[in-house]
Amino acid sequence: METLLSLSDVSWRHKVRDFSTWKPWAQRDGAGIYSIDLEIKSGTIIGLIGPNGAGKSTLMRAICGLYDCEGFDKSCEERRTQIGYMPEQVRWEGRTSVRHALESIAMMREDEVDIENIIQTVGLSSKSEEILDNLSQGMRQRLSLACALIGNPKMLVMDEPLNGLDPLAQRAFSNLLKNLAKKGVAIVVSSHQVTDLESLVDNVALLHRGQLLIHGTLEEVRNNLNLEEDSGIVEMICAVTGIDPEDITLELSDDGILPLKKIGGEEE
Amino acid sequence: MSAISLSIHVMKERLTAGRMMVIWPLLAMFILFSSWGLSDPKANLPASIVIDSAYDVMFVSTAFIIFSATMGAVLISFDGVSRDRLSGVLEIKLSQPIKRSVFARALLIGHWAAIFLPVMLLNLVSLAIIWHRLDELPSMEELFIHTLGTALLLFWYTTIQLLASSWAKDLGSSIAIGLGIWMIFTLLWLVLTTVVAGLSGVGVDDLNSSEYVRIDAIMDLFSPNGVYHHLLEMPLDDVDRGMSPAYISLAAILWSIIPAHLFAKRIERLQP
Repeated sequence: METLLSLSDVSWRHKVRDFSTWKPWAQRDGAGIYSIDLEIKSGTIIGLIGPNGAGKSTLMRAICGLYDCEGFDKSCEERRTQIGYMPEQVRWEGRTSVRHALESIAMMREDEVDIENIIQTVGLSSKSEEILDNLSQGMRQRLSLACALIGNPKMLVMDEPLNGLDPLAQRAFSNLLKNLAKKGVAIVVSSHQVTDLESLVDNVALLHRGQLLIHGTLEEVRNNLNLEEDSGIVEMICAVTGIDPEDITLELSDDGILPLKKIGGEEE
Repeated sequence: MSAISLSIHVMKERLTAGRMMVIWPLLAMFILFSSWGLSDPKANLPASIVIDSAYDVMFVSTAFIIFSATMGAVLISFDGVSRDRLSGVLEIKLSQPIKRSVFARALLIGHWAAIFLPVMLLNLVSLAIIWHRLDELPSMEELFIHTLGTALLLFWYTTIQLLASSWAKDLGSSIAIGLGIWMIFTLLWLVLTTVVAGLSGVGVDDLNSSEYVRIDAIMDLFSPNGVYHHLLEMPLDDVDRGMSPAYISLAAILWSIIPAHLFAKRIERLQP
């Protein structure tokens, strides 16, 4: 399989406000991602997993060229041309129609775009003239997916794509992603709906506090973490974060960045 | 993929927005009623205002354009960036292969055109009103300067408001910044001019004194409305505030370039 994108030592820190009386404009480094190495190959579906604040969305945005960070084998412009991006929970609104919204995104690409075909693919044919204000959350997710499919991307990056979709639509969505992967499209997806994710992905990449701690097939990750054969993504996250699966609470972990750490290796 | 085709798309979107239901009547009332009233030969105007030509009507009615059209520019552009940013649509737009500078240009032209076109349409109707009432039309030169001045004024306000919209993290802050700037230039500039005149040792008891008029003319170069009035005064023989056309042109160029450049830079660095 052809490597579509290589990440080598990719880091990015968000700037957060650091209020002080004398410098109200001051900023400091906040959470982010640190020293990520990853290869994305055509036709594979990679599931990004990790607790809240692990850096999944930041990594996805960096891959899509939204952050100007180094460490990629392709420039921001190249990545934007080749990648279709579906952010988390886009609130489409306004008095413009679904078709008009898609056209406005398609105009930002050089290639000719078959809007009709994309509308059909995401199942929005009956709603193509509906104004955005009238769409349900599920319809809005489909519209975001349609935007990601514009320009026949070689890679799709999707942040929580299953949110807001009914069970049937979730299944249809998973089937669509599998079909695209069969055609050679690389897919990077994050989801908290772990059951669906486990049946969908070929590889998982586990992030925690900004670092990619482990990456491989589900089987490889289980072996590396010494987990049982039937253990799933929750157990993987628990193993990496040190949380006892029997004692999970809603308490958030510190979202600062870990000292450089690799599973099975020494802390640096 | 050009800035023009994308800006036409933005313009159409803005022209069909619900807020145009408010902006159209506002513009119509201010622009059309002012030309109708001011072109009435029996109109009783404040002492210093004398109207004896079609261009005089257009010149005096610009006071109403400043109130309505600039407010329209603020209302159209206040969420030009911030709404997409809050809804997440900006993430999708910025992940497209379009150059950010082209995207910024498209936003500027699209939002500007969405207010300029209605104002121009109403200006054409007001020309017809003036012709009907005075049986006279302004010269081509006067018409050109009036149109150019109006286009520039709306461009400056659109740019400033889009810049505010790109800075603001929520719609409230965006409109607060836009309205605040609009109020400073439209309502408070006279106060600021008076304060500067007072601090410079120029008496403010007589606003027609040559020293005050000079300070007023200089201060006007730092305000979009002031530069607009300087431009419109150029064809008038009976108005001379002692400001060289070179300075006026330079101010107009700087007002066009600096905020637009800042906006383009802002969009290039913008993170969703």
